[in-house]
Amino acid sequence: MMGVVSRTQLLRVLAAVLLAGSAFFCGRIAVAGASSLDDLLAGALTPSAAPSLLAPITSAGRVGWECKPEKAAAAASSSKAALPPDPSPP
Amino acid sequence: MRAALLVALLLQAAANAAIAQTYSSASPVPRTTSLPALQALAIRREIEERFTIGLEAETRGDWKPAASEFERIVALRPAEPQGSTAHYDLAIAYANLQRNDDAARELRAALALDPGFLAAMANLISVDLARGDAVEARSIADRYVMLAPDSARALYSRGIVALRSGDDATARADFGKLLHANPSYALAHYDLALAEERLGRYDAAETELRAALTLAPSYARARFALGVVLLREGNHAAARDAFARAMQDAAGDPALANIAAAMRDSIKR
Repeated sequence: MMGVVSRTQLLRVLAAVLLAGSAFFCGRIAVAGASSLDDLLAGALTPSAAPSLLAPITSAGRVGWECKPEKAAAAASSSKAALPPDPSPP
Repeated sequence: MRAALLVALLLQAAANAAIAQTYSSASPVPRTTSLPALQALAIRREIEERFTIGLEAETRGDWKPAASEFERIVALRPAEPQGSTAHYDLAIAYANLQRNDDAARELRAALALDPGFLAAMANLISVDLARGDAVEARSIADRYVMLAPDSARALYSRGIVALRSGDDATARADFGKLLHANPSYALAHYDLALAEERLGRYDAAETELRAALTLAPSYARARFALGVVLLREGNHAAARDAFARAMQDAAGDPALANIAAAMRDSIKR
């Protein structure tokens, strides 16, 4: 008898805890949904990717016309600067 | 008279033969017998050889052997420009081995040896962004723009760092300047639009996004941003269309496609 009561009580407590947790969780979502549309949109508006690394350099060093990475680093043209490419048509 | 002329010719011929006389080639004479000088020559030779092997490994994408070669060169402390170059090349190997903290340390060492090394600055900013060090990324980006104010990469890099850290005014200035020289770069129009949107300048943001989409019509992220800007401007029908189109164009980006679909569905017809 004692064991049955304990089990019943345990199940009730468990159900109460689950209900309370669900209510708390749903409430949080509801609050978040109501108040943070701006945050959601702002989070989706992410800046473009960082540029990938420029290539290795030979033992001659960075000075001189042969050093393409250093030229890319100084180039005024975006097409010569090893920047992320524009999206291409699918 | 003839005899005298003949003697003169013979003497001249003999003299020419003596001048033009050749000797069998001798083995090269060593330039030095000094032990320190010979050791220095050996080290220079080793550095050159290791550069060649390391660069070949990096070309193949074998980053671990490449790192070993450049670590050895760095340990030999070569003179400039090889010192800063070895640190730079070692950083590339480390970055590709996902050792970004080590890569940043090597790029700092390269810049300490050669403070005007633009490629090292460019790479250090990218490495810092990957490791989440916005403070150093901004400091290096400021120095990069100061040394190369017209560099597209310097302006783009600082603009991205500024956008990520909330300095929208600097991002607006940098992407604006980048676009002045490169008006057909769609990504820069998009990033300038983000800065304008955050500054509450929705008209300007819309203009930039439409420019980006004229240059790259399937640019899903720009299409989504246009939807957001139109929503902020109160143009719900156009915003809904933009989100619907963004959802289609973002086929390769499920996260963006999902949020575009959610936004489209949240706007009542």
